[in-house]
Amino acid sequence: MKDDSKKEGNNVKISLLNSKGEIQAQLEESAKVFTEDTGIELEIIPCPAGQSPFEKASSMYASGNAPALLMIDTGDIIKFKDKLLDLSDEEWVDDAMEGALDDYKMDDGRMVGFPFAVEGFSFIYNKQVLDKAVGGEFDPSSIKTRNDLEDLFKKIEESGVAPLVISPMDWSLAGHFLPISYITQSTDPDVMEKTAQALKEGTLDLKKNPQFNGLMETFDLMKEYNIDKEDPLSGTYDRGPELLGSGEVGIWFMGNWAWPQIAEFDTAEEQYGFIPVPISDNPDDYGNSQIPVAVTKPLVLDKEQNSEEQQEAAKKFLEWLGYEDNGQDALVNNMHIIPGFKNVTLEPQDPLAKSIKNYMDEGKTLRAPTILPPDHWSQVGASMQKYLSDEIDRAGLAKEIESYWKTVE
Amino acid sequence: MEGKRGTWDKIKTYLMFAGPTTFIFFTVVILPFLFGIYLTFTNWDGVSEEYSFVGFQNYASVFSDPKFWSSFLLTLKYVLFIVIFINVIAFFLAYLLTSGVKGQNFFRAGFFLPNLIGGIILGFIWQFMFSNVLVYMGKTLGIKALSTSWLSNPNEAFWALVIVTVWQYSGYMMVIYISGFMNIPKDILEAASIDGASGFVKLKNIILPLMVPSFIICVFLSLQRGFMVYDLNISLTGGGPYKSTQMISMHVYEKAFLSQQYGVGQSEAFVLFIMVAIVTLLQVYFSKKLEVEA
Repeated sequence: MKDDSKKEGNNVKISLLNSKGEIQAQLEESAKVFTEDTGIELEIIPCPAGQSPFEKASSMYASGNAPALLMIDTGDIIKFKDKLLDLSDEEWVDDAMEGALDDYKMDDGRMVGFPFAVEGFSFIYNKQVLDKAVGGEFDPSSIKTRNDLEDLFKKIEESGVAPLVISPMDWSLAGHFLPISYITQSTDPDVMEKTAQALKEGTLDLKKNPQFNGLMETFDLMKEYNIDKEDPLSGTYDRGPELLGSGEVGIWFMGNWAWPQIAEFDTAEEQYGFIPVPISDNPDDYGNSQIPVAVTKPLVLDKEQNSEEQQEAAKKFLEWLGYEDNGQDALVNNMHIIPGFKNVTLEPQDPLAKSIKNYMDEGKTLRAPTILPPDHWSQVGASMQKYLSDEIDRAGLAKEIESYWKTVE
Repeated sequence: MEGKRGTWDKIKTYLMFAGPTTFIFFTVVILPFLFGIYLTFTNWDGVSEEYSFVGFQNYASVFSDPKFWSSFLLTLKYVLFIVIFINVIAFFLAYLLTSGVKGQNFFRAGFFLPNLIGGIILGFIWQFMFSNVLVYMGKTLGIKALSTSWLSNPNEAFWALVIVTVWQYSGYMMVIYISGFMNIPKDILEAASIDGASGFVKLKNIILPLMVPSFIICVFLSLQRGFMVYDLNISLTGGGPYKSTQMISMHVYEKAFLSQQYGVGQSEAFVLFIMVAIVTLLQVYFSKKLEVEA
């Protein structure tokens, strides 16, 4: 009541489409802090579970109700390019991490994305469970081959705990797990583009491909030690953090975005970390000591359905995240995001982000794919689920993946 | 002169009573429908400002999309089962609840209740039932058929969909059948009883023929809802496991918005419209012939 007279008239209201459902509550809290700092009202609109950010964003555009800030997937930027505001003159552009903005540069010279988060995925381990299994301090760098992994699974099983849980969601299996075989084809920085090209043209024979076969052999091993072996497709996302956090399994394949959920069940005094997914028995093979990491979930600004005032306010939010103490604090400490900026010196507090930072500092990262075809996770995910439940064999899986890629335009 | 005036008067009366509805129907149904048909000839992706004409290419891809046809066959199978089960169950519920059972109003309300819950919520409730409650019961009681989630097996997930749909709509159709039963003239039934007709003969020769209008409505409604099922599909099985229970509407939606091939998705929707229209028109046409006068 008391401030109404002061702010009336110049109270800008903007909204943000959030496609990271796991930080919805944290974003809402941060939006309140942002409003206190700047007087700009910020509403966070969640993208419903099971809907892709593209679906939500395109329907908001169609209804003439586009949010000022959209958190979309990197691959979707090109579709919205006519509607996005140029950000290349913003201050934070110079402070972004090297290569972070490459995917956001348009042919016409505009740069449209704000690198919101650095994310990585691989096997997450519960250190307490693994310490007990190996009888001492578990060293993640000791897992370099598939044999090492199998030994570890056996040891965990002997200690009376299930080795791992495979979460059977299509987006995890085909959006994260399977692409490891795409990005380990070579050490070329453009490996994903080249692999995609070869798959589209049908020149990559997956059945004979060592990386694909190696990864699927690792997957076979995972299937054998999966806690849900009896009914592999029944699991849900929520089951993963519960089992891992409470120490009922030692390992879960997922990414650092899962930390808020793991923390809810944590019994291991916040001691978790990542192990690479080994794809062969040769410790020197590319991919056996690296984990996939990428800048994901860019924030882009609408220029068509928001007023100039709103666009300025949206830019201000990006500056706030990048430079203000409260903004950086919100990003790193509240939302547990690894920022894509060099100038943010706050160290991530959660163990998974720390683990990713370690891999990054040691240069042991693979470039996680950010530009897969939009329905890859769903179509190929169904094939992966069939393989997981032994509905098809590896040759059948290879055939389905290959025929999917041939339909991609 | 007089003729013209009569027409004008008719138009005025029509506009006065049905004008607003006609306007709304035209703007929210007919126009989008026509615009949708127009879009089937383009390669629009759903957002971009530019698109070009591609002729009948989208229709060609509809006919060469194996997943569209497998979803369509699955939907036909689903429609077949739900139409039969819904109508048989609803008819007998109505028969029982008009025969003077104690507390029949209470039962009528009870059977109608599921229909008041929206499809999405209903799907989530039953998802919990199938993957948690039943599994828990199966494991503790040692029933093998229930010890793994029904929703993780393609065949069982299909039946889960059928069961929930039947549960949802039987009560609704029951209400229509009840009103059908109430409208059967008592004197005919009484005359039949005096002539010595048994319960079954009365049902076969009097009740069923007189109930044909109710059957037409109920079969039409269940056909149409079966073909258009989306909300329950997405919330109960999500099309899974591995897209094996993906009904046609969900496939069309995913084609248009997830695969970002709006033109192809729209063409599939149009093909679906034509097929559903043919099926339902045939059904109404043939069953109208069965109608009799009391």
